[in-house]
Amino acid sequence: MTDRHDPARRGFDRRRFLTTAALGGATIVGASALGGLDADAAFAAPIPSLDPAIAKSAFAEGRITAIKGSVLEVAGSYGDRHLIQLTNATSIWKLRTTTADAIRTGDGLYARGVDMPDGTIAADAVWVNIVNLFCTVRGIAKDRLHLTHGSADHEVVGRIVPETTTASYLGGALTPDLSRVRIGQSAQVLGAWRPEDDTVDIARVTVGH
Amino acid sequence: MACGSTSLWAGETTWFCCGSSWGPCGSAGTGACGTCQSSAHQAAWPNTSQACFDITRPDLCGESIARRACGSVMNVKHQCSGATVCVTVSDCGPRTQSFCGEATCCNGACRTNRVIDLTPAAFSAIGNLSSGKLPVYIYE
Repeated sequence: MTDRHDPARRGFDRRRFLTTAALGGATIVGASALGGLDADAAFAAPIPSLDPAIAKSAFAEGRITAIKGSVLEVAGSYGDRHLIQLTNATSIWKLRTTTADAIRTGDGLYARGVDMPDGTIAADAVWVNIVNLFCTVRGIAKDRLHLTHGSADHEVVGRIVPETTTASYLGGALTPDLSRVRIGQSAQVLGAWRPEDDTVDIARVTVGH
Repeated sequence: MACGSTSLWAGETTWFCCGSSWGPCGSAGTGACGTCQSSAHQAAWPNTSQACFDITRPDLCGESIARRACGSVMNVKHQCSGATVCVTVSDCGPRTQSFCGEATCCNGACRTNRVIDLTPAAFSAIGNLSSGKLPVYIYE
């Protein structure tokens, strides 16, 4: 068995790389070979980027209150606080795979990584403003979908982003053609929330029955 | 109650947000069990009660999913990577009937129909949130 096929070994290598990158004050880059692919690529990836050891990883959720160099200060939704260390092994998603330059104070995030001795989390992946909402289509315009979600039918506007938004009909292949979306259909919307206007940029809408 | 290794089901998992949170998730609430939190290793199961089943209707997709109440624990394992997370059932979902026949594949093997929903903490422990769905085996 090679190291590549040994989950425990892969997990160790990932952690060592993250730790080394964080302690070394490495420069920040966006996509990495370790994971955090964009939606389409992640969906199509023949081998998921994650190894079993990551189940023991650290997780953080909340809104970014400050950005100091490569560290994101995050206020968790339950009053907890996190310091997220971005490294050159960190992949960053904000509607698409991107770089740290796209991150803003006020953004929401989910982060996965490794707890460091200094109390920070060295991030393997950071998903900024990502939402995955089960919705009902209530209205359709050229550049947006009017949606409701949740048991109380909260309204949300889903913005159609040229050259980014794709659709899948009943689990079929992704297409930029949204012409088959109909009012009243159920839809799963994967996208990025926009704090400035409380709308959602749609990465992918999966239309159901 | 500990997570076990007895096979329970297989299918697709998606992810959802719940509890206190930001953006549209801020209105999601704590779910059918009243305990759901995005940052906890939790799951939504489509048959936590008759009322839940009447909404999700996995049977319409040919899935005879057993009833498991709030507080039940399950191991959810990525079909290909083997990454596993132990979760507690904390909500009703997903709406299986809305996506009958949908498949998610890896390494040429596919799992069909949405049979479990994971919180972001749980889903990210076995895959990337940006993928939206994963093929999984479920154990108890």
